[in-house]
Amino acid sequence: MSEPVLRVENLNVGFHTKSGVVQAVTDANFEINAGETLAVVGESGSGKSVTALALMRLHPRNTEISGRVMFRGHDLLAMSEPEMRAIRGRDVSMIFQDPMTAMNPVFTVGAQIVEAIRIHSDVSKEVAWSRAVSLLEMVGVPEPKQRASQYPHEYSGGMRQRAMIAMAISNDPVLLIADEPTTALDVTVQAQVMDVLADVQKETGTAMMLITHDLGLVAGSADRVQVMYASRLMETGDLEDIFYESRNPYTRALLDSIPDLEGTKTELEPIPGNPPSLLNQNVGCAFRPRCSWAIDRCGVEDPALVTIDGAHASRCHRVDDLTAHAQTEAAR
Amino acid sequence: MADTQIPVGGSDELVDLAAETEQMSETAKRLAAVDAEGLSENPKSFGKLAWERFLNHRLALLGAIGLVLIFLAFYFAPYLSDYSFDEPDVVRRLEGPSWDHPFGTDTIGRDLYVRTAQGGRYSMRIGITVAILSTVFGTLMGAVAGYFGKAIDIVVSQVINLFLVVPYLVILAVFAQKFGSSANGLSVVLALLLWTRIARVVRGVVFSIKEQEFIMAARSAGASHVRIIFRHVIPNVVGAIAVEITLLLGTAIVLESTLSFLGLGVQPPNASLGTLVADAKSNIDDDPLRVLTPGLCIVFIVLCVNFLGDGLRDALDPRSKAEGNKPVKAAKDKNAAGVDAGEAVGSV
Repeated sequence: MSEPVLRVENLNVGFHTKSGVVQAVTDANFEINAGETLAVVGESGSGKSVTALALMRLHPRNTEISGRVMFRGHDLLAMSEPEMRAIRGRDVSMIFQDPMTAMNPVFTVGAQIVEAIRIHSDVSKEVAWSRAVSLLEMVGVPEPKQRASQYPHEYSGGMRQRAMIAMAISNDPVLLIADEPTTALDVTVQAQVMDVLADVQKETGTAMMLITHDLGLVAGSADRVQVMYASRLMETGDLEDIFYESRNPYTRALLDSIPDLEGTKTELEPIPGNPPSLLNQNVGCAFRPRCSWAIDRCGVEDPALVTIDGAHASRCHRVDDLTAHAQTEAAR
Repeated sequence: MADTQIPVGGSDELVDLAAETEQMSETAKRLAAVDAEGLSENPKSFGKLAWERFLNHRLALLGAIGLVLIFLAFYFAPYLSDYSFDEPDVVRRLEGPSWDHPFGTDTIGRDLYVRTAQGGRYSMRIGITVAILSTVFGTLMGAVAGYFGKAIDIVVSQVINLFLVVPYLVILAVFAQKFGSSANGLSVVLALLLWTRIARVVRGVVFSIKEQEFIMAARSAGASHVRIIFRHVIPNVVGAIAVEITLLLGTAIVLESTLSFLGLGVQPPNASLGTLVADAKSNIDDDPLRVLTPGLCIVFIVLCVNFLGDGLRDALDPRSKAEGNKPVKAAKDKNAAGVDAGEAVGSV
């Protein structure tokens, strides 16, 4: 197998605040291969967006960051700012959550795509403009020629997100980071935007890191999934591993809290309690207070990420018990 | 309360209500159609829209016309009148308005229309120069302070605060002694005093702009800080400072007039609107007109410029529409509702 596009090793991200260090990402290790989609799932504040920003080195200045982010053989965290700028938008680009605010309101959509192109390649405005128009066409914006010379406020939310995607892929990036790309959109538009992303990925072969809290979205579009909770990676694996063979109580709780459209009606099971504060964290598993599987050991020892098979790994002291439980369930 | 009153109102009101509902549903239909396409109605170019918005702004239009008129009256005065601004005519001293001397003559018989025009040109030149200089400098300082924050912001803010407590007239009086006789020198001194007004507004606006996602999006596209400040931050500030710039132009004209009135600005035989008022003030009881004409010129220019700025601000904002921004708002609300629904169904 070829070298992964991105390999993150022991990434820690913490924010200095008046009341101490907020550890937003703890010891993250993962990789993304060319052409695949890795979904990062978790509740608000679980560190998924911070991970993405840290990869792009767009984190705020009061941030303490350690580890390695190997991108095509180079450590992004060790790069100088100008080197990093050359990578942003060209090799790694990002799609943001809210298409309403992610575009500059005083320039036309076309002009903004042109700018994104011309930051990285030395082409004339005319060439860049025609590329912008064809990009808009590619992401399904109707009448792209006229649309390109319109302002963001003249676009609807879904159209704007399409335009954002066009801007993000304008330099054929190797890796596309989509930070909750559909959260601000209608459910019907969400599906359209995800289709556009899938088409774009098929056409350009870019790898994608899809950050979301929507497991439904993950099921439809990801190759691999990693679940984050309270700054830690709880479980990682192929789509099937996570959805059907989960060996982590948190992932299971998440899955239990999604409504099932088929089969008999059962009551949804919300996860009791709230995520813990990331400030001055205690020893032990962060999910312990809300976990129905918790044992005494969970309070005194940090669980390690245990490999189950292949790419599937879970951070839990009771992986074996969960496996046994799953087997008895399957037998029944 | 309201429920009980509706039947009492009689059939007329009910008909009105029905018509209103129908109208509303029509708007809703139109909006729905627009939203379904994902497009807004009949797209127009920005320039055209801005021009339309400007034309719809009556006061701004009035201000623009007024400025053009006074500009023409000032700049063509040497060709319209046979008199020179510094040519005394002791026989025709202190004359009232006539066809020959539309504004009358002063104490040594110089034509006051030509002198007012000359003073007006001087005042307008200073006003425009000061507005440009302090806008450029103030915007840069404010944008840098607001964008980078931290130590840079502290330094710039403290300088701005320092200028707040400085008594303008005292400083001006000192510097005007040295530079006041030349229009450019005086402009620079005034700009150095007035840039803080622009900087303060820009700094505040930039603080909110830099938190918006499109700044982060620009960084994620590989834009440098310099490019972000010039391409993304400053263009978004223009609307907010349009009015401040015009106010500044007015302030500069008034300050210059004040200095000249005190005898520190323009030196004789040249005139400015301020010196004209000063010259005429001793005779104000017998001859108020001579004070009023240059005074009204100052008021007229400042007023026109302020109206113009007001209209420019509205016209230059691409988010406002010529016919009000209702459709945009409605679409937004709809989207907000969509978010809630989405969260409730599929979220973790």
